[in-house]
Amino acid sequence: MDGARWAKRGVSIASIVVVWFVAASIGPSTLPGPVAVASAFVGYLGEPVYWNAVVLSSLRVLGSFTLAAVIGIPLGLLIGWNVVFGDFTFPALELLRPVPPIAWIPFGILVLPSVAISLGVIGFEVSATVIFITFLGAFFPILLNAIEGVRGIDEEYSRAAHSLGAADWQTFRHVIYPGALPSVHTGMVVGMGLAWVNLVAAEMISGGGLGFMTWSAYTGGSYPVIFVGMITIGILGYVSSTIVRYIGASQLPWMEGSTV
Amino acid sequence: MSTRDHVLGIDRRRLLGREVPLPPRGVRWAMSVAAFFTFWWAAVEFGFLGFGRFVGPVDTLIAIYGYLAGEPVAGGNQSIYIHAAYSTFRVVAGVGLAALTAIPLGLLIGLSTKAGTGIEWNNYLYPGLESLRPIPPVAWVPASILLFPIVPVLGFSINTAVLFVVFIGAFFPILVNTVEGVRNLDDEFRRAAQSLGADSGQVFRHVIFPAALPSILTGVSLGIGLGWITVVAAEIIAGNYGLGYITFQAYRLLQTDVIAVGMVVIGVLGYASSAIVQRVADYATPWSDIETS
Amino acid sequence: MSKQESDADDRAENRNQDTNGYEDIQNGHRESGSAGSERARATGEALVEINELTKTYDPDGAHVVAVEDLDLDIGDNEFVTVLGPSGCGKSTVMECIAGYLEPTEGEVLINGDPVAGPDPSRGVVFQSNRLFPWKTIGQNARFGPQMRNDVDDERIQQLLDDTGLTGFEDSYPHELSGGMQQRAELVRLLANDPEVMLMDEPFSGLDAMTKELMQEMLLDIWEEEDRTVLFITHDVAEAIFLADRVVVMTARPGQIKDVIDVDIDRPRDSSVLTSEAFNEYQERASDLIHDEAERAMEQKQQETQEA
Ligand SMILES: Nc1ncnc2c1ncn2[C@@H]1O[C@H](COP(=O)(O)OP(=O)(O)OP(=O)(O)O)[C@@H](O)[C@H]1O
Ligand SMILES: [Mg+2]
Repeated sequence: MDGARWAKRGVSIASIVVVWFVAASIGPSTLPGPVAVASAFVGYLGEPVYWNAVVLSSLRVLGSFTLAAVIGIPLGLLIGWNVVFGDFTFPALELLRPVPPIAWIPFGILVLPSVAISLGVIGFEVSATVIFITFLGAFFPILLNAIEGVRGIDEEYSRAAHSLGAADWQTFRHVIYPGALPSVHTGMVVGMGLAWVNLVAAEMISGGGLGFMTWSAYTGGSYPVIFVGMITIGILGYVSSTIVRYIGASQLPWMEGSTV
Repeated sequence: MSTRDHVLGIDRRRLLGREVPLPPRGVRWAMSVAAFFTFWWAAVEFGFLGFGRFVGPVDTLIAIYGYLAGEPVAGGNQSIYIHAAYSTFRVVAGVGLAALTAIPLGLLIGLSTKAGTGIEWNNYLYPGLESLRPIPPVAWVPASILLFPIVPVLGFSINTAVLFVVFIGAFFPILVNTVEGVRNLDDEFRRAAQSLGADSGQVFRHVIFPAALPSILTGVSLGIGLGWITVVAAEIIAGNYGLGYITFQAYRLLQTDVIAVGMVVIGVLGYASSAIVQRVADYATPWSDIETS
Repeated sequence: MSKQESDADDRAENRNQDTNGYEDIQNGHRESGSAGSERARATGEALVEINELTKTYDPDGAHVVAVEDLDLDIGDNEFVTVLGPSGCGKSTVMECIAGYLEPTEGEVLINGDPVAGPDPSRGVVFQSNRLFPWKTIGQNARFGPQMRNDVDDERIQQLLDDTGLTGFEDSYPHELSGGMQQRAELVRLLANDPEVMLMDEPFSGLDAMTKELMQEMLLDIWEEEDRTVLFITHDVAEAIFLADRVVVMTARPGQIKDVIDVDIDRPRDSSVLTSEAFNEYQERASDLIHDEAERAMEQKQQETQEA
C-alpha cells in the first residue's frame, strides 16, 4: 500500500481523536477528553488491578470460546451430516437460540455455581455464570455455521468420494469436514466477536474483569477510566479476532484470498 | 452409503447392525422439544445444580398466562405489554437510526472504493469508523449513560442512553455489509449499464443499489439480532423499563417465574423480528440467491 | 528487484526470437495470398481504427504488458472475429474499444474520433453472462431504451419473439437456461440499436448444439440489420464460421499474428461446416493458433510457479 493512502488512513483515525477532543471541550463537563484518558491509561498500566482485569477477561473469553468451539463444531458437523441426529437435537437447540445470552444472566446467577481460585498475586473467581453467558455468545454462531457448512457442500462431492471407494467415516474425514471448514471459520470469527459483547455485559452485571472495571469507573465517578476500559476491551477484541482469522487462514490454504 | 442419502421418506435405518424403524420427521422434532422440557422439569424437580431455585416449565406456562392477561410484573405497576413495547421501540428506533446513517455512509464508502476518482471517502471515513468497531456495543453503556439523558416525551420516558447503545450495536453490521455489498459487485455489471447508455445516477439506481440490497438487508438482519442483545444488556444495566429491566428486577425480587417469562418473551420477539426482516428481504430481493460478484 | 528485472529481460529476448520465428510463417501465409499489407486493413470504410495500441496493467507493482503495438481496422458492417490463446489480451482490446480502459499508448478511433468512455453506440456482450440478476428478462431487454426514456415496446416484443423468449418477460435470469440467458443478453443489446457490437466469447459457456443455433441466429440478425461486429473467441470453427475476417493473435503480449480473409458465401448455415473450403481455413487457423496456445500455457505455468 502506498504512503499517501496510509497518510489518509492516519488522518481518518486522527480525526476521531480530534472530534473527541472538541466534543470534550465544548460538551458536558462529565465527558473526559483524550488527554485525561491518556494520562489515566498510563497510570493504569502500572496498576495490578488493571492487569488483573485484563487477564481475567482474556482467560474468560479464551475458556468460553474454546468450550464453544469444542462443543459447537462437532455437534454442528454431526447435525448437518446425519439428518436423523439433527432431527433429534436441533429443535431443542432452536428453542434456546432466539434468547439473547445476556437474558440468561439472572438464571445463571441463580442456578450456576461459582468457584474462587487464588494464584498468588492474581486471584480469580471462576464465575460459571460469566463463562456460561460468554459461551452462549460464541456457541450458536459456531454451531449454525458448522451446520450450514455441511449442508452447503454439494452432494456430488460425497458421491465422488463414495465412488472412489471411501467409506462413510472416510467421506466425513475427507469431504464433509474440510468442506465445512470455511463456514466453521466464519462462525468462529463471528463467535469471537459475540463472545466479547456478552462477556462485557455479563461482567458489568455480575462482576469481575474489564466489564466490571468499566462499570465501576462510572459508578465511582472516575470517568476517564470508563474510556480506558473501552479502549482496552476494543484492543483485546481486535487482537482475538485477528488471531482467529489468522488461524483460519492457515488452515484453509485452498481458499482463494486466504494468504497468511 | 452416506446417511445423508436417505433424507426424507425413508424411516428405517441400520443401527448397530440392525434395521430399526424410525418415527417420521415431525415426531422426531416433537420428541426433541419434549426432551428439552422434560430435562427442564426434572432438573428443577430434583434440584440439579441450583435448578432448585429456578422455576419449572409448568409454572412458567401458568405465569405466562397470568402476565399475558395483564398482571403487573416485577413489583411495578406496568403490565408486560408496556415493557415489551419499550424494548421493541428501542430496538426499532435504534436499528432504524443505524440504518438511516449506516446505509448512506456505506454506499458512499463502497462507491468511492470502486470509483478510484473523486474524494476518497473510503480512505478518509472508513479507517476511523473501523477503529471504533472492535469496541463491543455493551462497553458503550457507561459512557452513554454519562452523556445521554432520559428525555420525557408525551408521558413516556425515552432513555437515549439505551437507544444510543442499540444504535451502536446495529450500526457496524449494517455499515460493513453495505460497503461489502457495493465492493463485491463485479465491475462488469456497471460497465454493461454504461454501455447501454446509463448515466452515473442511473447506474446507481438500477445497478449498484439493487446489487447491494441483499447484502444491506443481511446487515439489517444482523443489526436487529445485535439490537436485541444490546437492548437487553443495556436495560439490565441502565434501564428504567423494558424486558431486560424486568428480568433483572425479578431476579432482585427473587420472582423466578418473571425471569423465565421475560426470557420467553424476549426470545419470541427476537425470533419474530428476524422472521419479519427475512420476509421483507425475500420479498424485496426475489433474485437474491444469485451471485453478483 | 534485480532478479525481476533480469527475468523481464529474458522474457523480452524470448519474445523477439519468437516473433522472428513467426514472421516466416506469416510470410508463408501471405505468399499463399491472404492479408496483403503490414496493417490489418478493412475492406470497406474503417469504422473502428486501432492505432499502435499498447495496454499494460500494473497491479501492486507487477508489470503486465497485455497488448503491445496492435494495429487493426474494422470496416463498417464488417464481421471480424478475434482468435487467440487464453490470456493473450483479447478482452483487453475489446475493453479499450468499449471505452472501459484507456490505452497506455496508441489510440482507438470510432468514425475518426477517439473513444472517450463507454457509449450506447458500442454495445457489449460479456464473457460471463451479465444480465442484471435483479431485473426480469423484460426489464433487462428494455434497459437501454429506458435510460433514454425512449422505449419502443413493439421492437422489444419483436426481438423477444425472434429469439424465442416470448412468455419469459417476467422471469428472472437465473430461472432461464444458459442459452436463453445468452439470447436475452443479445436482445438487450439489440434493443439498444448499437452501431458496433463487441462480443467477448459470448457462447463459450454453451453446449455444442445450443452454440451452433446461437451462431446461426447471430448471423441472421447481423445480415438483416447490418451491424459491425467484433467477436472474440478461442473456438477456431466458430471464428471462421462467423467471420469476414479472422484476426489471429499471439500469446501475451498480444499482437496480431495473422489475418485470414474468409471467403465463404453468405448466408451461411451449418452445412458450411462440412465444406472443403471451411476445412482448409480451419487447418490454417489451427496451425497458427497452436504454437501460441502452447506458449500461453507455458507462460501461465511459469507465473503460477512464481506466485
Ligand atoms: N486488471 C488486470 N490487472 C492485471 N492484469 C490483468 C488485468 N486484466 C487482465 N490482466 C492480464 O492481462 C492479460 C490479458 O488479459 P485479457 O483478459 O485481455 O486476456 P484474454 O485474451 O481475454 O483471455 P481469456 O481468453 O482468458 O479471456 C492476462 O494475462 C491477464 O492476466
Ligand atoms: Mg477474455
